[in-house]
Amino acid sequence: MATSRMVLAALAILAVLPVFTSGDTCLRPSVVSQTYTSSEAMMATETVVIVEFTLTCANNLKDVNLYAEINGRTLPATRGQNSKTYQVSWSDDHKNIPAGTYTVRFFDEDKYAALRKAQRSGDNTADIEPLFTIDVNHKGTYSGPFIQAEALATCVAILVWYLAYSTKSNLQS
Amino acid sequence: MMKTFLVLSVVCLFSFVNSEDGKPARLLASKTILNQYLVEGKDLTVEYNIYNVGESTAVDVQLVDMGFPQSDFETVRGSLRVKWERIAPGTNVSHAAILSPLKPGYFNFTAAEVRYQGSEENSEVQLTYTTAPGEEGIVSRKDYDRKFSPHVIDWVTFAIMTLPSIGFPFMLWYSSKSKYDTKPKKN
Repeated sequence: MATSRMVLAALAILAVLPVFTSGDTCLRPSVVSQTYTSSEAMMATETVVIVEFTLTCANNLKDVNLYAEINGRTLPATRGQNSKTYQVSWSDDHKNIPAGTYTVRFFDEDKYAALRKAQRSGDNTADIEPLFTIDVNHKGTYSGPFIQAEALATCVAILVWYLAYSTKSNLQS
Repeated sequence: MMKTFLVLSVVCLFSFVNSEDGKPARLLASKTILNQYLVEGKDLTVEYNIYNVGESTAVDVQLVDMGFPQSDFETVRGSLRVKWERIAPGTNVSHAAILSPLKPGYFNFTAAEVRYQGSEENSEVQLTYTTAPGEEGIVSRKDYDRKFSPHVIDWVTFAIMTLPSIGFPFMLWYSSKSKYDTKPKKN
């Protein structure tokens, strides 16, 4: 009796196993993202880009390990407390992250392995299809006004004085 | 006697194997505030860097920063409680968060906690701390604006206030000029 029960249990596990193993890839990923980029040089000596997102898979896959690729640089996605939340952040000198739109490509373990392989062999990494992408729009980092207000005021004052002085010397001559 | 020797030698062998095979991961972590000025109500940029200087992969790495109480800071973007599945030896990971200080004054920025397992086999949780940025002053928004805003309105007000003392003599001169100076004067 006991043995037949064990055989049944083993069979049940064997039957369920493929469900777990085949569910490796995230099917039809839907992503809700929020991004942040540094906007003021006073508040950050380097430009910091943060992408936060939640990932939902159609096959309800959780705890997926993700890797991000941005301008040829790959980084592992940081996981939040929730099994669906992720964050990717990187920073660089202000001049190395100019204003513009950056496309961050995300890969799961399998695709990341393919990406690494392509990187090692010098192939074009753009051919590798990412799981999904997120666009980051960076408006640029404001590092103060082009001309200081007091400098402008001084220039105006000198101009007014010069006009008055030249008119006066014209009159006196 | 023989038995004791055998046990001892086995223990020695085991510890030898253990130290040879599983030199655990060792994580060094830094916490840096990237701001030039810390200003009330403006972005505060915190960056964390974790380096694995050990020889094994660090597993289940958790970074928790309790140093920003809700009474003093608001989280703008990024999480203060994050984890990485693994950090390979010789590599580093970085993380950033943006906060907004709610009140001015001095604040002591303390270290964040990093918990990890030394290797795949070693399930013992290690605890290490990031560097602590230390005490920093948070400037009030009013003082910051006084120092760094372009003061456009102030300068426009100043220009309007100086206008009578320049404009009135100019008007007098201009009216007399247009009255008497009808034909071009020859020097």
